[in-house]
Amino acid sequence: MIRSRLALFVGAALLTASAASAQTSVSGRVSNAQGGVIANAEATVRALPPPGATPMPNMPNMPQPFERTATAGADGTFTLTGIPAGDYVLFVDASGFERSSQTITVGNQPQNLTITLTPLILPGAEEPAGAAGSVADTAVLLERIKQLEQRITDIESEAVLSEPETRVKRIEVYVDQNGVQTDQPAAGAKKEVTYQRERVYRRQTINEKIEQALADADAQAVKIGIDATTVTQGAGRTTGDPDRPDMKAYALASADLFFAAKLAQYTSFFADVVALSGAPPDREIPSLTLLNGYTARLVNQNELNLREAWLRTEFFGQRLGLTAGRLDLTNYFDRNAFSNDETTQFLSDALVNNQMLGLAVNGTGVVADYDPKNAFNFKIGFQQSNPDATSLSDSIYSLAEVGYTMTPFSLPEGHYRVWYRANNGDVESKHAVGLSLDQKLSPVVGVFGRYGQQQIPGDWDRYWSTGLSFATGMVFNPLDTWGIGYAQMDLASGDKEHLTEGYYNFQLTERLRLSFMLQHVLDRQSDKFGYLLPGIRLQAAF
Amino acid sequence: MHNVKRFLILLIVALAVGAASFFTRATLSAAVVKVPDPTKVVMIVDRDSNDIAFMDIASKQIVGRTFLGNNVNPHMVMMSPDGRYVVTGGTRANKAYVIDARTLELVKVIPVDIAPEHLAFSPDSRWYYQGNPEGDSISVIDMLSLTKIKTIPGLVEPLNTVFLPDGSKAYVGNYGAHWVGVIDVRRHELLKKIQVGDVPGVAKLDPDKYLGEIQGINIPQITNDGRYLYATDTDLGVVAKIDPREDKVEKVIRVGKNPWRPYMSHDGKYLITPNNGDQTISIVDLRTDKVAATLEAGENMTGVNFAAGKAFVISSTSGFVYVYDMNSLRPAGRMKIGTNIQLETATTDTKDEKLYLADSTENAVVIIDAKTQQFEKVMNVGLFPWGTHIMDSKDNYCH
Repeated sequence: MIRSRLALFVGAALLTASAASAQTSVSGRVSNAQGGVIANAEATVRALPPPGATPMPNMPNMPQPFERTATAGADGTFTLTGIPAGDYVLFVDASGFERSSQTITVGNQPQNLTITLTPLILPGAEEPAGAAGSVADTAVLLERIKQLEQRITDIESEAVLSEPETRVKRIEVYVDQNGVQTDQPAAGAKKEVTYQRERVYRRQTINEKIEQALADADAQAVKIGIDATTVTQGAGRTTGDPDRPDMKAYALASADLFFAAKLAQYTSFFADVVALSGAPPDREIPSLTLLNGYTARLVNQNELNLREAWLRTEFFGQRLGLTAGRLDLTNYFDRNAFSNDETTQFLSDALVNNQMLGLAVNGTGVVADYDPKNAFNFKIGFQQSNPDATSLSDSIYSLAEVGYTMTPFSLPEGHYRVWYRANNGDVESKHAVGLSLDQKLSPVVGVFGRYGQQQIPGDWDRYWSTGLSFATGMVFNPLDTWGIGYAQMDLASGDKEHLTEGYYNFQLTERLRLSFMLQHVLDRQSDKFGYLLPGIRLQAAF
Repeated sequence: MHNVKRFLILLIVALAVGAASFFTRATLSAAVVKVPDPTKVVMIVDRDSNDIAFMDIASKQIVGRTFLGNNVNPHMVMMSPDGRYVVTGGTRANKAYVIDARTLELVKVIPVDIAPEHLAFSPDSRWYYQGNPEGDSISVIDMLSLTKIKTIPGLVEPLNTVFLPDGSKAYVGNYGAHWVGVIDVRRHELLKKIQVGDVPGVAKLDPDKYLGEIQGINIPQITNDGRYLYATDTDLGVVAKIDPREDKVEKVIRVGKNPWRPYMSHDGKYLITPNNGDQTISIVDLRTDKVAATLEAGENMTGVNFAAGKAFVISSTSGFVYVYDMNSLRPAGRMKIGTNIQLETATTDTKDEKLYLADSTENAVVIIDAKTQQFEKVMNVGLFPWGTHIMDSKDNYCH
């Protein structure tokens, strides 16, 4: 037993002796640029990867390199012993100085090095004790001048404004009866909210300053937008009484002026003033639905009309929004993604709105929309349906809708809605219900559909539409869109309408669009008539 | 027997000296080490107090802070993959700052080019690439010698750099152009320019848009398996799939308007682009390279994090974080972090359970529990925290 232990000790000692024979030491003296001694510096040698090692080994599996550290004494000297021959990086750290690093090759002989450290000067930081205590004043000043020269070069290189920034912050403080304010709770003091400027050390370039100023001014200004559109259409009779108009041209120009402003936290104002002039085909062709969706806005020729003016505010973490004022209630309901905008999509009203929503005039109203952003959303609203009514209670038009967003059967997103309408005014139809969906079939193709029916005494009027929309593919330019759609009206009176439309919308610039459309309408009313209507729509919006 | 005794005495002396040396060193180290385990802290870059704060993940306490100097305005913080160093670029000082990750002492200040912002490490921690958007260059810093060895010119507002897993090449997003730069890491030279998409023919009708200001490529983001890179082009509204073997574009996918950059889901199935032009997100299926869903989101989106099977989309100026279920690809709610605040970017812990979101105007870090969608705020982390970073997190990014 004693023999075996003895053998172990002897073996270990031999190994130590053998290792010692291949090792050497690295020593050095640490000083500043002027030769002054720097005490207590920490010197570390770390092995470099051996020649031929994988250039980019995966770090988690890479062995930790050989490393040894020693602390310099009061005379600034240090010694690292037991260093095998090889390539190393030697780091030297001292408080108040930048790290010194250099590559060294260690052979069989001890090495002695002189290490010079550079003071680490940080603008705004307290003077490092180590640097100040061990360096001559002149040397520090010279180093400072060097640093300042470098800083001037930096500043000149990009014209930086170096004044400290300030900003106003909302803070909570504690105020007692005598008005004494403290940051911490105190006896007899109440917590209050106040505002205070704080100064920060941030520099901005002149460009950043200008952009910030413009953004601030823009946020406070009343925003104005314009949407000017000209629609030119032709109409050729395809069937029907020869006395009906044929080979006619129509044009309608529309200009909307929008105003929007932020009034308070989560509260904004919006107004839309519109002027139209011209002759749309709807004045001569008595189709059940409007062939030009803009015609619905045409109240008086060449006159400015206030279409909308409302306030909107949001509550409960902005989940609930309330909009009140003069508005078009149908704008907020059945917002089909592919067929809801006569300015960029289909022109026919039958492919813009669900005809069973049944409101043509704007009026005073309120809309509440609850959107928790979790796929479901809910809307309810009412509006005065008859501008000539002497009281609101005799002309309430109201709508409610539930919407849901889903991705069925691994398809992209689709939006599904069901709505209900009631109208207690002097109208034939008091109630209506409807469905609406827009579902993407692929990133390029989307399908839409609408259905609605309204109750009239003893029967129902029915409407439906469907179609396809194309975007981001199968187009001439990346942002162009196009679509084809079909709508059918089937009234209890026996009147029917079949309408088909195709459009292509060129997005020429961010503010300019040009659309071509072709419509065909076939109506069966007291007589049967059909028209083919090619059209061009030029829209500028900014 | 006499020799054996001598060997034994020598051995005991050697062991005693070694032990004394070890304990002395351990005592010295213990006195200065503030972060014993670099994976257990959140690094917070405080733009306006000009420091890097280190928050212990378990106690939520700030355990250290490294001041960089007035008016430095650090932009992004990152720890080297080996956990030795923490680095940041001082945007208004034109310098890179190297901090010892254990002692939190600033050990080196290295002059770089103009306005350093985003940065990247080679996988072996050897090379620190500091992007200088206003200098149109990348500064190459050798982390062994802690010196700048080269400046790579010829880039156009380089915003972000990504290394291949084998470290052989790096890919640079040029926000001032429509191409991705390929860097040979052995020589630190620009090898190739990869154009990600064609500027449409109608661009000549819209000089205000296409000649006024360019918003090109933010970052070529690498897939989890390292096989492909995906780069968004903000102006063109596309995501380009790049094969790094041949350095060519394999496919161009059209997404929403003004996509900011791609963010990879942790399971490798999807990428998300926040589209600030139309306030939507596009979820791209990486198996088919098609847009799987385009969903409503918020304004000024600055980041996307993934945790607990959900995506968290940061809407900077609205104070909201939008949540999406990544299984059903449906909206899963919206978290209101505060009123009149500005949110920046976030990192996710390595367990994919919690997010650490920089709330700059409140000088706070918001800790979001991804499962419950509840959050708490750690206040006074520094002035204007601009970003956060956790070592080995899959969601380490900056604006």
